[in-house]
Amino acid sequence: MNIIDNLENNSKEFPNKIAIVFEEQKISYKELHDQVKKISLKINELDKGVISLISENSILFIITYLGIIRSGRIAHLVPPEISEINFNNQIKSADSQTIICSESTFHNIVKFAEINIPILKISELKEQLKNKENYLKENQIAHLIFTSGTTATPKGVGITHSMLNFTTKNIIGILGYLNSDIDILPLPLYHSFGLGCVYTSLTVGSTIILHKDASNLENLLNSIKKHNATTFAAIPATLIKFLKSKNIDLKNYFLNIRLIITNSTSISKETVQNYKQILKNGNIATYYGLTEASRSTFMVFKKNSSRDESVGKSAPGVSIKIDNDEILIKGKNVISQYWKNEIADKNITDSWLRTGDIGFLDNENYLFLKGRKDDIINIGGEKVSPFEIEEVVKEIPEVIDVAAFGIKNEIFGQVIKLHIIKSKELNLDKSKILIHCIKNLEKFKIPNKIDFVEEIPKTSYGKVKRFMLK
Amino acid sequence: MYNEKEIKDQIKKIFFDVFQNINENNFVWEKQQKDYENWDSFTQLNLITLSEAKFNISLTLDEAIEIKSASELLECIKSHII
Repeated sequence: MNIIDNLENNSKEFPNKIAIVFEEQKISYKELHDQVKKISLKINELDKGVISLISENSILFIITYLGIIRSGRIAHLVPPEISEINFNNQIKSADSQTIICSESTFHNIVKFAEINIPILKISELKEQLKNKENYLKENQIAHLIFTSGTTATPKGVGITHSMLNFTTKNIIGILGYLNSDIDILPLPLYHSFGLGCVYTSLTVGSTIILHKDASNLENLLNSIKKHNATTFAAIPATLIKFLKSKNIDLKNYFLNIRLIITNSTSISKETVQNYKQILKNGNIATYYGLTEASRSTFMVFKKNSSRDESVGKSAPGVSIKIDNDEILIKGKNVISQYWKNEIADKNITDSWLRTGDIGFLDNENYLFLKGRKDDIINIGGEKVSPFEIEEVVKEIPEVIDVAAFGIKNEIFGQVIKLHIIKSKELNLDKSKILIHCIKNLEKFKIPNKIDFVEEIPKTSYGKVKRFMLK
Repeated sequence: MYNEKEIKDQIKKIFFDVFQNINENNFVWEKQQKDYENWDSFTQLNLITLSEAKFNISLTLDEAIEIKSASELLECIKSHII
């Protein structure tokens, strides 16, 4: 059973149930299924090969994506804000044969495109055409995502239908998604986190309340109330922004929420503990994974759990081991190879994927993350994780965001530098930050340089792009 | 701008922050690095970093290496801001 089969079953079982709400639009399971079928017929008309899909969050994005995969084609998911260089690199590497884009991205895409392939607007796909249907095969790639990632070189990752089925089953089993759930989804759909939520909701037959993004906090809170939402998916940065907002009674807004699911970029112990207090009738949960190995661990932070810094235990059918501090993953959620990239393929040996993440397992096999292999700062032989420094600095109320990274130093090899976004309303000087660090960190972990900045470069997933800071 | 008393007070505070076991009663301006139990190269780095932040100055590597007591730190900082 794959996402298309599940959608078809749900459309028969409860045809009039609302599948997705987006702003003023709504679509039922039957309408969704019918439209996916229509789009997939149109897709069959297009040239064979990979189809690049570029769109902001919308119902039409989901219909088009499902239409592409229903036709047994590969959907190459492209962030709408992609740069011209990255766009052309990805189109070439993906060997894309057609580009489908939203109205708002169309103009830029036509301007960017160096390769002469058809560029269609999503809205043009609506006409129905008569054609023979193709259908997806389980081991075929459903979509292709280039990991913008935290390292310099993007890599193509092809996700198969069987990987998606495996992961969706684990999400539903562990986090207990139900047909009765109302799921608030403000995540970008061209990423594994957001798209995984769509798979989950459409498989169990719940209702997705889709948002364009998570930038308007008030709008999100009102949406939670208005729709009586039961689950909420957000990156840690959004959850922290809620905590830093004044005069908002989060307990009241989150009264009916049974689950907040976040990903593992850098959720701090403090944030977890705050949400444990806020959620009267639910839990906050996280997972650890890469696009290459989605949802490899899960952690539901129960009220009495003592491991608030862990990303949990490996998911059923997934194995995790540590080799020289690096996390390795094996399982049905792990890619067997990268997209036409023999150099990157060297990260996979005997089905074990080298993640480049540093971490450890405790005596009960709970996984703890310590940072990226490339990000570890070596200060005179002492190894320091930037995460640890960032978590301590984030405790200072005037700090809105921080990135820690290593810079060259004549004596120590490297020392720690901080980029800090500080609150505009409150005063903060560098000595206050240093004194806080001195009180809370070992002496070799004290930052040596601090710059106040307006912005910290991050992936749309919320991970700091440290290679851009060094 | 700081007067000499303010600079001295700030430096003492830096020493109290960096050395948890030092306070007004046992602080000695002339006490040498070798006589401190825990003044190693990381402590040196933290003393310099905190001084630079407090006084908004930047010390050269040579200056930073030369400092071996609170009084030497005082003289170095005075040379930058007075």
